[in-house]
Formats: sequence, C-alpha cells, structure tokens
Amino acid sequence: MKQIDIVGRRKIWFTISIVLIVIAILASFFPGVKLDIQFSGGTIVTYSFNGDLDKGEFQSSIENSLGQKVTLREQNDVNTGATNYVITLNSKSGVTPDQQIAVNTALNEKFPGADIQTASISNVDPSIGRDFLLKSVVAVAVASILMIVYIAFRFRKMNGWSAGVIAVAALVHDLIIAYGAFVVCGFPLNDSFIAVMLTILGYSINNTIIVYDRIRENRRLLPVKTSYKDLVNISVNQSMSRSINTTVSTVIAVGCVCVMSLVYNVSSILTFSFPLLVGMFAGFFSSMFISGSLWTLWQEHKLAKK
Amino acid sequence: MKKVGKPVFFVVLILIAAFTALSFFGVSTAYGDNTHTYIKGVDDIRWGIDIRGGVDVTFTPPADYDASPEEMAAAESIIKVRMVSQNITDYETYVDDSKDRIIVRFPWKQGESDFNPEQAVKELGETALLTFREGNEYTGPVVIEGKHVTSARAVLNSQTNEPMVELNLNTEGAQLFSEATGRLVGQPISIWMDENRISSATVKTQIPNGVATISGGFDVKGAQDLAEKINAGALPFKLETENFSSISPTLGLGARDAMVTAGVIAFILVALFIILIYRMSGVVATIALVGQVAGMIACLTGFFAPFPSFTLTLPGIAGIILSIGMGVDANVITSERIKEELRNGKTLDGAIDSGFQRTFAAIFDGNITMVLVAIILMGAFGPPSSIFGTIFSPIFRWFGASATGAIYSFGYTLIVGVIFNFIMGVTASRLMLKSISKFKPFKKAWLYGGDK
Repeated sequence: MKQIDIVGRRKIWFTISIVLIVIAILASFFPGVKLDIQFSGGTIVTYSFNGDLDKGEFQSSIENSLGQKVTLREQNDVNTGATNYVITLNSKSGVTPDQQIAVNTALNEKFPGADIQTASISNVDPSIGRDFLLKSVVAVAVASILMIVYIAFRFRKMNGWSAGVIAVAALVHDLIIAYGAFVVCGFPLNDSFIAVMLTILGYSINNTIIVYDRIRENRRLLPVKTSYKDLVNISVNQSMSRSINTTVSTVIAVGCVCVMSLVYNVSSILTFSFPLLVGMFAGFFSSMFISGSLWTLWQEHKLAKK
Repeated sequence: MKKVGKPVFFVVLILIAAFTALSFFGVSTAYGDNTHTYIKGVDDIRWGIDIRGGVDVTFTPPADYDASPEEMAAAESIIKVRMVSQNITDYETYVDDSKDRIIVRFPWKQGESDFNPEQAVKELGETALLTFREGNEYTGPVVIEGKHVTSARAVLNSQTNEPMVELNLNTEGAQLFSEATGRLVGQPISIWMDENRISSATVKTQIPNGVATISGGFDVKGAQDLAEKINAGALPFKLETENFSSISPTLGLGARDAMVTAGVIAFILVALFIILIYRMSGVVATIALVGQVAGMIACLTGFFAPFPSFTLTLPGIAGIILSIGMGVDANVITSERIKEELRNGKTLDGAIDSGFQRTFAAIFDGNITMVLVAIILMGAFGPPSSIFGTIFSPIFRWFGASATGAIYSFGYTLIVGVIFNFIMGVTASRLMLKSISKFKPFKKAWLYGGDK
C-alpha cells in the first residue's frame, strides 16, 4: 500500500484547520450568531392561504391587529406547491392565544375567501427560552466533562496524557467547525444544534482513538529506533481505509437525509443534518491529519528539550 | 472460539428475516371490526406532533403567583378533564414543580381539517369553573362554587377503610351547603367542572359544619382524582401560556415521507458500498444491518402489544438513518482486520476468528461514547419523569422541563441503534461469517478481502 507522508505535510493540514476555525470565528460576528426563538423567545407564524394575497396588506393588517411591527417572508410549501407567508414578530415578548385569534379574525375579514389558516405557530416566552438555553449549555458541558473523563481514563492507561490532551483538542476543533457550519449558513442555534454538538462529541472521538491505538500497537511491533514521524505515518496510513470507509458510510446516510430535507424543504432536519455532515468531515480530517501530526510535534519537542 | 456449524448461517438469516417481517408488519387478527394486535408493526408507531401535527404548549400561573405542588397538580387535572371533554385522549402532560410549569402536548384530531389550535389552547388555560348543582343536570341550580371550597383531599373512612373525598368549605360555603343538603336529603348533588360532570352523590344527611365527605364506589386513585379536580376548581389563578407551538399535519406528513425515502435510499447506498468494498463480509454486514433496523423499529413500536410504543419524531427518523451509517462501523473494523490477517498469511478461519476477537475492544470503545451522548440527550431533553430524566435530575432540574420531544426521540433511536448494533453487527455477523465460510463456494480468501 502506498504510504502518504502525512506528518511531513503537517503545515498544509494545520493551515486548512486554522483557516476553517478563523472562518467560524469571523462568521460569529458577521453575519453573527442567530439564536432560535427556542432560546431567545419570540413568535413565528406560518400562514397558508388560497390565491394571491398582497404581501404589504397582509403584513399591515397583522401589524394593525397586534399593534407591533412584524416581518414577512415567503416560503414555498413543497407538498402542496402553494406559497406560505411566514410572519416573525419583532418583539420577543410573545403573543397570547387571544391575540392570535384576533389576528386570524382580522386576516379572514380582510381577505375573505382566501381561507387563511395557521399552518404552524411557534411562540416562546423569553424566560422559558433562557432556561432552555442554560439547560442546553449544561447538557453540552456535562457531555464534555464525561468525555474528558473517559478520554483521561482511556488514554492515561494506554496512550499517555499528551495523546489525551490532543484528542480533546481535536474534538474542540471538530465542534468549532460544525458550529461554523451553523453560523456560515445562517442557521439559528436551537435544540438541533445541541444534538449536533453532542453527536459529534460521541462520534468523532472514535476515529482518533483508532489512530492512537495503532500508534500504541506499532510502538511494540516496529523497531525501537523508528522515529516518531515514521511511527505516526505508518499508523495513520494503516487506519486510513477503516476511517475512510466508516466515514463514507456515515456520510452516505447523513448525506441522504441532508439532500432529501433540502429538496423537500424540511428545514428542521436540514439545519440538523448539514452541520452534522460538516462535523463528520471535520472529525475524519482531524483524526487522520491533525491529531497524529500534533502528537509528533509534541514528542519531538520533548526530545529536543532533553 | 466455539465451533460454529454450517447451518448456523441459515438459522441466523431466517431469524433475522422473521424478526424483520414481524417488526415491520406486526401480527394482528381481525374479527369483524375488532382488531386484536399481538405484535405491533410500523403502522402502530406513534408519530410525534412534528409529524402528525398538533399542539405543544407550556402553561404557567401568573408571574407573581408562587403555586404549591398541590396547586400545580390540581391545575394539571383541569387540563386533563378539558382534554378528554374535547375528545383528545392521546395527550401528554408534564408538570415541573420547580419552575411552576405544565407542558401539554396533544396531536391534531384525526380527520379534523379546521381545528383551531389557538382556541383550543385558550380554553385549556382558562380558570376552571367548579360548581355543585342540584340534581344530575348542568341546568340544575348552583349550590356552591369553587370559591367556597377551601380544600379537598382523599381520606380513608376510619371504620370501613373505604376511600372517600373530604371537603372543607369556608363559612359562606358551609351555610349554603347546610341549607341545600337539609333540603335535598335522598336527592343527588352533582359536581361540575365547566360543563363536564365529574361526580355525583346522593345526600344522606344534612351537612351543617362545612366538612362534607363523598363516598361510594371509589378506589384510592379515584378518590385522589376527584379531590384534585375539586381543588382545581378552587384554584385562584388562571393559567397563562408561556410557550405555544402548533403545526398542521400536512407539513409534518410530507416531511416524514421525505425522511422515510431518505432512509431507504441511504440503506441501499450503504449496503451497495459495503458489499462492493468487503464482498462476502459486506453481504453479511447488510443482513446484520437489516436486523439492526428491525430491532430499532421493534423498540419504537413496543413490538409485543402490552409494551408501550415510543414517540418517533423527525429527528428520531434522522437518528435511525444515522445509526444505519454508523452501525456499519463495527463490520468495517472487523472486515479490515480480517483482510489484514489474510494478507499476513493467516487461514480464512483463523483470520475471521482473530478479526472478531481483536477488534471487539475498539468497537466497544466506539459505541460507549455514543451511548454516553445519547443518555445525556435523553436526560436533558426528555420529560422529567423518564428514566434518564430522573438520573440527571440533580443537574437539569434547575432549568425546568423542556418541551422538545423531538430531540428526545433522536437520543432514543441512537441508543437503541447502538444496542442492536452489538447484537447484529457483532454477534450475528460473527456467527454468519464463520458458518458461511465453511461452504466450499464461499471458502475463497478473496471473498473476504484477501488476494485472489
């Protein structure tokens, strides 16, 4: 099998990673992080109707009824082929069912015969949103702590703590890039975001573990004077086909979900599956190209200091 | 390793095929209109409200009111009575005492096209009007109202040990009740919440002191229920909607069909991919994968009729598909190892043995982290009463119960996927591969990744 000199090209890999991380950080400020109303509170209502309705009049009759500004956006319903109007309230305070009934009455008076119906409503109080955000952050924190404990336990015995630290760094790298997919695409952060973060936390570590296990095994098998660079190169190359094949099958699965949700406009799943896909690529990349190279760097640095 | 006989492959294959057929189609018998289900199939899956449409709402007392757990339980019972009176039986309610919240989820009524969710939610949260009326009709004159009741509780009759409900009335209520019961001895008084009759009792004697008991025909649960409902009628607050979302069934069903199609395509592509790469091991992996999906379906439907089904949401379907992709990992790891052992000159039998033995730790490691993550997902986003919700309650209870059944279902499919991956991708695959490799036509190393 052809060996790829992975460690020798580490500057390329590090550059790619740094660029992606910088993009993720920059995108957090421009266009900026959007919080879903699940976290921030607010109201989004989708109306379905028959025929053509004037957008401006539609919007103004809602604004008159509620006494506050709203924004209107068109959305194509792939199932029915009809156009829906999506209304977002600018205030975060939410509306009561009474107000919603009043809006519906006003709309149906204004546009008789259009059969205006609320296809979906999402209305979250800011205080409940804040609680939910905190809870989600805690869920990610708890998962991270458990994962670090697991890595510490697993690596202390088998691979040394330097490998453990790098494995954690690789995880953080993957999470940042998956997060970057959210902000670059303008997907609002919501419970799907938390699910993506946790899934990557659980999934991505395994590729890294496989590589380090190979390194450990090869240390015994290969001659003692094998350099760190060769040791890592051989190990990564040996685990390459397993990592590629596992990643390909996962990517096929998540990719199908992603494509179908894009075609059929299932935004709740698209905003979930696409960042997951990106995170999986990042996980493959970091375990193959970053963690081994970083480890070599660390070990060589240690040797030089002696 | 134990010897694996030739027929084992077919035994495992038939078992998986039978299990798959059962979990997809179920077993039920029909006598006329009566269908009796023995084993539940995909038709019995409970779809989440993001798929079949429905309402998800969080109620809370007014901001300045600190409700006691008893009051919250009473408020929940109002909602339940109203649900049933609107003919919605398939609802879920969760009470979160630390945050004084009641989460209610209910699906769109079947066949209802112009259901008005705003109206339904508004009615659920309104102050309950509790009345005691003369006779058994709603039109009967009102004896006392909810504001006259200071408390109601379930007690046991000290002589007969029979469960009953004890009412404590305030001074005004006691006077009114004394007058009415004096007049109505031998006649019924009925208790109403809004326009729903929740109980009816015959007056035995006049009750002068404002302490009344209702007895007869209760079990303990029934007495507690009635006491809660009466307390609910005495609640001094109206429930406000804090969170409110609703989705129509057309949106959700279309999304479900798209996701199911995605799942089928993903399965076919993944199967083609592993068969192409790993040949015989890939075929075995595909059979194992069928078993894994069937196992996940069985865990969602509840399989055996008495077991409860588990709500499946859109992210839950995504979780199943993700598990298909990740489940192959176990087969990939072992197949790679078998390939390597073959190239190192091992015999086919020896290579398969050591392939499975030496990779078990790696597969276990790979799955344990997913289990950890899935448990946290279920703990954080599940109802507080769920098993993982209880485990993590010291951590998560400060943040209130969450209203995202969608992600809970994702965590569930992930964890179930891992479990069946162990059964199918590891155990069943090993048995099948060992036995199939004993057949002459399949005894060629190249079928397992060796050289031709």
